[in-house]
Amino acid sequence: MDEKDKEILRMMQDDFPIVPKPYKRIGDFLWMDEVSVISRVVKMMQDGKIRYVGPYFNSAKLGYSGQLMAINVPEDKIEAAANAINKYDEITHNYLRAGEPNIWFTLMTPNEKRAEEIIEAIKKELAIDEILSFKSKKTFKIKVNPA
Amino acid sequence: MKIIDERTEKVLKEFQNNFKIETRPFKRIAVKTGLTEEEVIAIIAKAKEDGIIRRVGIGVRPALTGFGMNALTAWSVPPDKVDSFGEAAAEIQNISHCYDRECPEGWIYNIFTMIHASDREELENIIKSLSERFPECPYKVMETLKELKKTSMKYFK
Repeated sequence: MDEKDKEILRMMQDDFPIVPKPYKRIGDFLWMDEVSVISRVVKMMQDGKIRYVGPYFNSAKLGYSGQLMAINVPEDKIEAAANAINKYDEITHNYLRAGEPNIWFTLMTPNEKRAEEIIEAIKKELAIDEILSFKSKKTFKIKVNPA
Repeated sequence: MKIIDERTEKVLKEFQNNFKIETRPFKRIAVKTGLTEEEVIAIIAKAKEDGIIRRVGIGVRPALTGFGMNALTAWSVPPDKVDSFGEAAAEIQNISHCYDRECPEGWIYNIFTMIHASDREELENIIKSLSERFPECPYKVMETLKELKKTSMKYFK
């Protein structure tokens, strides 16, 4: 990734131009032509550096509420736990972390009932008594990308 | 709960699922929804203004863009310090997410920060600098070992 790529990432990061030709607009700022901008973005997507281009919604405004959840599983059960957890669309992030508990995931639902359903199903599938739940009280920052 | 009209919903659904890297990406949404490109742009601009869209932009993979060391770090912050801690954490470039959360019984760490750094030394320095400002707050660092899943929520199906 060279400086031009980084400049493109910075331009696209938080304020993607909502205009008929957004890549031309980005190019105009960076003294690049539209085709070069597009081909660099496509390349960065193919390389996996960019995983998504598009809107990020305010989940609360759309009636959704989220919680961070955690369980602790032994090493040989991690894969099974990941499979049990990851199959729900409502679970968008799941990470293996150092320490205990070691599996941390986010659950986003439009109502409490759906959240309960998913939590109970995971508990049953993994034969565990408890999933730790951390509901959000206040959001201080959501930036998605660092720097 | 009906917060948005049908036209907006159609546009946002296409925007979420079919936004391609191409010269006229909003034109594609227009064709799909039977609207004009101008109408699509106006609807999206309005959704941004109303706060339904938090931002339009990109999601990157931190590990591939210079942030190889990531840790969820949770802090035990007393109620009267929650706001000042949250605001201080939010100002740090390397912190992408910061929430005050309800805690289950037996768990003392209420503020969760997601910290991204290029290496361990940088991560430790970020934590140290925040900890020096709030020495009364114990914390727990939970380094990211593996991404098991990361997708975007599909609000419109």
